[in-house]
Amino acid sequence: MTLSRREFLAGLSAMGAVWLTGAAACRDASPDAETHAPPADLLSGASPAFVHFSPADAADVEAITARIFPTDDTPGAREAGCVYFIDRSFTTFAADQADFFAEGLASLNASVAKAHGGGTRFATLTDAEQDSMLRSIEDSEFFGAIRFATIAGMFALPKYGGNRGYIGWQMVDQQSVMEYQPPFGWYDQPENQRALLGRVL
Amino acid sequence: MQTQPTGRTFDTRTPVDFVVIGSGPAGASMARELTRQGFDVVVLEQGRAYAPADMEHDELGAFITERWTNSSVTQPQTYRETERDTAQRRPYVGYAKAVGGTSFHFTGNYWRFRPIDFHEYSKRGGVPGAALADWPITYEELEPYYTAVEWAIGVSGLANAAPGEPMRSRPYPLPPLNVTGPGVLLTAACDRMGWGSMPAPMAILSREYNGRQPCHNCGFCLGFPCEWGAKSGANYTMIPEALRSGRCELRSECYVYRIETNDAGRVTGVLYFDQDKQEVRQLAKAVVLSANGAESPRLLLMSANKRFPQGLANSSGMVGKHFMFNGAATSRAEFEHEINGHRGPVVSRITHHTYELDPSLGFIGGGGFDFRFDVPAMIMALSLPPSEPQWGSAFKQRLRSWYSHSLLSYAHTTSLPVEGNSVSLDPELKDAWGLPALRTTFREHEHDLRMYRWFQARGRELLEAAGALRIHDDPINDSPGFAVHLLGTCRMGNNPASSVVDKFHRAHDIPNLFIVDGSSFVTSGRGQPTLTIQALAFRAADHIGQFAKRGEI
Repeated sequence: MTLSRREFLAGLSAMGAVWLTGAAACRDASPDAETHAPPADLLSGASPAFVHFSPADAADVEAITARIFPTDDTPGAREAGCVYFIDRSFTTFAADQADFFAEGLASLNASVAKAHGGGTRFATLTDAEQDSMLRSIEDSEFFGAIRFATIAGMFALPKYGGNRGYIGWQMVDQQSVMEYQPPFGWYDQPENQRALLGRVL
Repeated sequence: MQTQPTGRTFDTRTPVDFVVIGSGPAGASMARELTRQGFDVVVLEQGRAYAPADMEHDELGAFITERWTNSSVTQPQTYRETERDTAQRRPYVGYAKAVGGTSFHFTGNYWRFRPIDFHEYSKRGGVPGAALADWPITYEELEPYYTAVEWAIGVSGLANAAPGEPMRSRPYPLPPLNVTGPGVLLTAACDRMGWGSMPAPMAILSREYNGRQPCHNCGFCLGFPCEWGAKSGANYTMIPEALRSGRCELRSECYVYRIETNDAGRVTGVLYFDQDKQEVRQLAKAVVLSANGAESPRLLLMSANKRFPQGLANSSGMVGKHFMFNGAATSRAEFEHEINGHRGPVVSRITHHTYELDPSLGFIGGGGFDFRFDVPAMIMALSLPPSEPQWGSAFKQRLRSWYSHSLLSYAHTTSLPVEGNSVSLDPELKDAWGLPALRTTFREHEHDLRMYRWFQARGRELLEAAGALRIHDDPINDSPGFAVHLLGTCRMGNNPASSVVDKFHRAHDIPNLFIVDGSSFVTSGRGQPTLTIQALAFRAADHIGQFAKRGEI
């Protein structure tokens, strides 16, 4: 990747560029109040309905997100509800990316059907088969976009649909009520400062 | 949390003493200082006024969907590397679009400049291909205003904590913020290399100050507004004070598109679109333009008329020229133990050991370093070094490690004023109001690229001295790709043929037009411009107020 850090922070990630452009476009098309209002069903704790994906597409998208952040010793994208974040993004801030995304998913499923027999869909493959399929499209715009969206959904505020119960933040030990007291880590503990510096700052 | 004062209302058809365009660090400081002197002021701000409840830890909004920043869709921009190229549409200049301007979401690094920043040209000599020049003012002239700003808003720091610090007339009003892991590691590295280091001066409260509460160490600083009001942005300091004076009206979501002049060549007022896109004319006895280093020159150019066909204040042709951003060289590194740099202030210790450098290195300039952690988890996940796994369980593992055990070495440097680097009006592209889009032309000067590489090498040495396990250098490109420190485009100077404003920020061409913000900078300084922007504003307001009282505007 040859982008500078500043460029990245500007939101021009090569891998997420497609999804991102749509994000900015649609943000402007809808009033802030609408974009940033938490959907009521997400706050109620009930399992929300999909507003954009068909059940089959949702299953495939969820399966992909779960290979990006798998459920292992800690919860992953499935538990965080990244698929709901992505689903809602296509009716709000990423609406104009919906067709591109649908084509990418259809193309992936076409490859799945070719390799594993007609009618087979991504979600029905084993984890190892799914990883192998994704490795084959790792450099594609579609994979870049869904990876970007999965990461965004993992850490965005729960009101956007993912990061349920702040699972994403817990994954990196980030509290949702954020008021910290020092020492924040190992190096700023007074005894370690003394060992490193001969003094406490 | 104190309630937001509402100010008062002025009639648009009666000329107000001053219209201030922009409520950022410069415009808000102008409004505070001018109202304190008894003048009536209308502040026009294109962004919204946000309440603490709007100031969420919203990583998506802050970094991806432009919740609080200028819009790449309604305010599209173009970029080209040189004047020979055709500009392509892309976002290039970034700023917070809110009451408080970019101080709404800044990190709060509040370095003063040093004397060298004002006369580097005469001390070190010129550079081919650059328009290096001395400022028409000195550090000593600005010093009282640095002090006044530090005490007005509450800057945390420790005076004279390292060799080479410039003269100051008063200590900092508040002690330094809590030291963080990156701060301890930078100090350890400096100790080992024999470099001085010191607590970072920060526009974040370490103690309660003027009724505002201190920092809660949440870590969401860079790119985020502070819901506690501990970050001393203009929205929490200068603006409420100006409004409490009873002499100021703040009109947010008002987008100024033209400054009007009369046959005598004087400014008469401004035209703006209000939040319903209705055109409004506000008459004024004088106008202070503080829209930032990109939008101020754009507005001057958009205001061209029969009398001023090149745009206002532009008889020199220098409006928009000498665009500077501050250079940067960054490297990321992992350490053995937990740092948790996402907790506490982004920066707690800095070194200015490299502030003044010998020209024999092959460049003119210098800079300083901090060690920091400044991105939330989403951005960290999206920007792991390319050598790391990018998905799957290994990605999760490595992300956790990078989030808790890594930091960023960040060199903040000068960047040379180059005449061809500029802000101009795009000849084709229009914004959502039908106004010409902002066009940036920018390519790094080869001396600066050499300097960034030199700084990156020193950054690696610092990281190694601090005991880094793995170091990843971020690339250094011919163009920074995105700019947030917007400087130099209406430079001040004594000569009307080579500068836009005089040493009191008055436009050489128009006696009742003042331009006060990062655009006034003659050189870039070493990296943290906001305090200097505010000190310039305090100084400008001091003089402009005197001019007005003497009938000299």
